[in-house]
Amino acid sequence: MEKMKLKLLYSDLKPELEMIEKELEQAVDSNSHLLNDASLHLLQAGGKRIRPVFVLLAGKFGNYNIDVMKQVAVPLELIHMASLVHDDVIDDSEMRRGQPTVKAQWNNSVAMYTGDFILARALEYITEVEIPSVHDILSKTMIEVCRGEIIQIEDKYKLDQNVRDYLRRIKRKTALLISSSCELGALVSGTDEKTAAHLRRFGYFIGMSFQIIDDILDFTSTDEELGKPAGSDFIQGNITLPVLFARKDEEIYRLLKESLYKELTDDERLHIVKMIRNSPAIKESKAISERYLNKAIKELSYLPKGTANKTMRNIALFIGKRKF
Amino acid sequence: MNLQQIQSKISSMEIDVLKAVQQRTLEKYTAGPSVEHARMFFLLLPFFDGKQWSGKIEASAKTVSIVYAALHAHDQVKEDAPVTKKQQLTVLAGDFYSGIYYHMLTNLKNIPLIQRIASAIVQVSEKKASFYEETVFSLAEIDETIEVIESELLTAFYDFYGYDEYTPLAKLMLNYLRYSEELECLQRDGHTHVLRLLKETLQYDLHTESWLLEKLDNLHDQIVKCVNGYAFDYELKHFMLHQITPHQHRAEQLTREG
Repeated sequence: MEKMKLKLLYSDLKPELEMIEKELEQAVDSNSHLLNDASLHLLQAGGKRIRPVFVLLAGKFGNYNIDVMKQVAVPLELIHMASLVHDDVIDDSEMRRGQPTVKAQWNNSVAMYTGDFILARALEYITEVEIPSVHDILSKTMIEVCRGEIIQIEDKYKLDQNVRDYLRRIKRKTALLISSSCELGALVSGTDEKTAAHLRRFGYFIGMSFQIIDDILDFTSTDEELGKPAGSDFIQGNITLPVLFARKDEEIYRLLKESLYKELTDDERLHIVKMIRNSPAIKESKAISERYLNKAIKELSYLPKGTANKTMRNIALFIGKRKF
Repeated sequence: MNLQQIQSKISSMEIDVLKAVQQRTLEKYTAGPSVEHARMFFLLLPFFDGKQWSGKIEASAKTVSIVYAALHAHDQVKEDAPVTKKQQLTVLAGDFYSGIYYHMLTNLKNIPLIQRIASAIVQVSEKKASFYEETVFSLAEIDETIEVIESELLTAFYDFYGYDEYTPLAKLMLNYLRYSEELECLQRDGHTHVLRLLKETLQYDLHTESWLLEKLDNLHDQIVKCVNGYAFDYELKHFMLHQITPHQHRAEQLTREG
């Protein structure tokens, strides 16, 4: 339902997004039946396609040509998909978007080769673009996203980390790829540098807000809504913003500390989720997300008014309010 | 170029690769980047053989080594093992190395090579995934699968820079090395996908061992013939046959023959 609402916000882009969807299917077409199945399994599980959307919207500020825009939009989504399939191995996740993960349906090795295959397809695709800065931005982003994930593993189970550590981590883990989507969309459509910079910053602020909301939803949504157990992040040792705020309460801090290293029963997990959900941590986290959202919207105010600007603003507002 | 110089060039490239992908956490918790010396030797073979070689080509050879390290890292992820920090970081190591190779080739403004390497990775991944498909392999298909996995990246590099003349030799030698590893594994009672496929096709363990021995003999004969077909200098020939693919009896025979 929520995804439907989000899609309505960019319904103007429907024909282009359908074209991108087809391109994605073609891009993962493989001589290996197994890689075909695994990649299509991932594609068909859906997703918000938010990165292609931002590429296309950013392109509207320049000389928009869908045949050029898709050269960036498709690989960005493929890179995101490849990272998801590898992340499921890292997190040992059985479910994603209510579907069994590739590693659950097949095994870790198949997930590794599927991710490598999809990433290679993304690079095959993007190398059609002859603008050097596109590759510079994207390759740096890929490295930084990995650094973010490496730090996330280092920081796991560290309840005493600070908010700055968390923000630096989500910047790399999520915000950079969204920021790059906006910037690359601007670059390939030939906007001026100033416009590209505003779009890059818009993407960064939206990405930060988006991830914080994601981390809040891990505690405020039900298992059904999430398509995986609520509190999964915490169970895997990921210390997110709601946890960092909630630990100020001594009772919650003690509970979190005791729970971090042990195998939790479902009741224990739900108890933690409830404690955090009912604490001021959710409101405090939302306030931080809101701050990023406002910054994102401010960036839009420097850009020419028009449909793309309005849609970006509506997406930003939706992200702030989304339920799952 | 003498044996020591060859070895030293390979080691120097290895150090450069290690430096390029250096990352504190990965170094601490994973086995670190691994590229077999044989692969690096083949990447440097045109240089050893006195072909035109520039700093840009050498840098590209290093990036191909990094791709090998990336794919190798992902091969180390256990099929159904429980989650450990080492395993998690090994997944990320492979992705991180991929980002580095893309960035290095971007800096070299060598976008066409990125495309060529990406196509090779597609083929290698498809062949690796084929081990998990429920299909019956013929011996020729096993051979082809091994050949793509072992030499497709190198072939991409050779094609790109016009060094195709080395492709047949590299394929033979890299296949030889892979089958040697499979034989050693079989003799240790180990399990690999290739051994499983061979056993399925040949039906008995004993058949598999004799098939592998025969295969290695056959490949070595071809390697010796192939090496002699090039105008390599003596030291280079010696290095290939004794350091890269030592096949004790036959190599000794060749040395005696001069």
